[in-house]
Amino acid sequence: MYYIAFIIALLLLSGCTDKLVRVMPYEKEHFADPKMSLSPLEERAEHEGHIFLIRESSAGGDSSFQGGCGCR
Amino acid sequence: MKKIILMIALSLSVYADVLVGDKAVDFNLNSLDESKSFKQSDFKGQVVLLNLWASWCSGCKKEMPEFFKLQKEYKSGFKIVTVSIDSDPSASQKFLQSVEQEVGFKTPFITLYDSEKLLPKTYGAVAMPSSYLIDKQGIIQAVIVGSLSADEIEELKKEINKLK
Repeated sequence: MYYIAFIIALLLLSGCTDKLVRVMPYEKEHFADPKMSLSPLEERAEHEGHIFLIRESSAGGDSSFQGGCGCR
Repeated sequence: MKKIILMIALSLSVYADVLVGDKAVDFNLNSLDESKSFKQSDFKGQVVLLNLWASWCSGCKKEMPEFFKLQKEYKSGFKIVTVSIDSDPSASQKFLQSVEQEVGFKTPFITLYDSEKLLPKTYGAVAMPSSYLIDKQGIIQAVIVGSLSADEIEELKKEINKLK
């Protein structure tokens, strides 16, 4: 009886492995689609982020070139 | 008792990844143009770089031109076998055509097509792209996770020359 319970527990726990619950890298085809991007216009999102950081007086100005001054 | 051992083995099998020193997984896949089918055993006696890629993977775009140049350098004893896991084979063909235009010559290696993603599943690929350096006896000598830069390809060449 204990053996059966042990085997069932083992099988159930093996279902929690990250390989079964995680989206594996080779399954990310649809996630990699540009349509799945939170902001579809990448350049515009970068520009808006840059302006936001200048307005908020944040140092560095995100990843844009010559951050902080607003010039590009 | 035998049943318990079998069940434990089955439960743990989901963790099994291919590691250095393991035998390369055998496969039977068609080429991307569906002209021929290939098995892992077809490449026995040659050093093989098995590369898993997809047209939607940015790292694959970066390293593919380097693989074109690498294969061009080796006339014999070393083969690059790339496996596309795209859902749509035409996307893979377009991808290769764009690389061909970039480097200025035709694809110099075999490209297989695995729409079922059987190879990445069996190999337990933890990243895209993933590459496996396989020796003449069909034993995995290196597992390369992610894309290779030109400098890393130089290091890889030393390994290939050792195995040749």
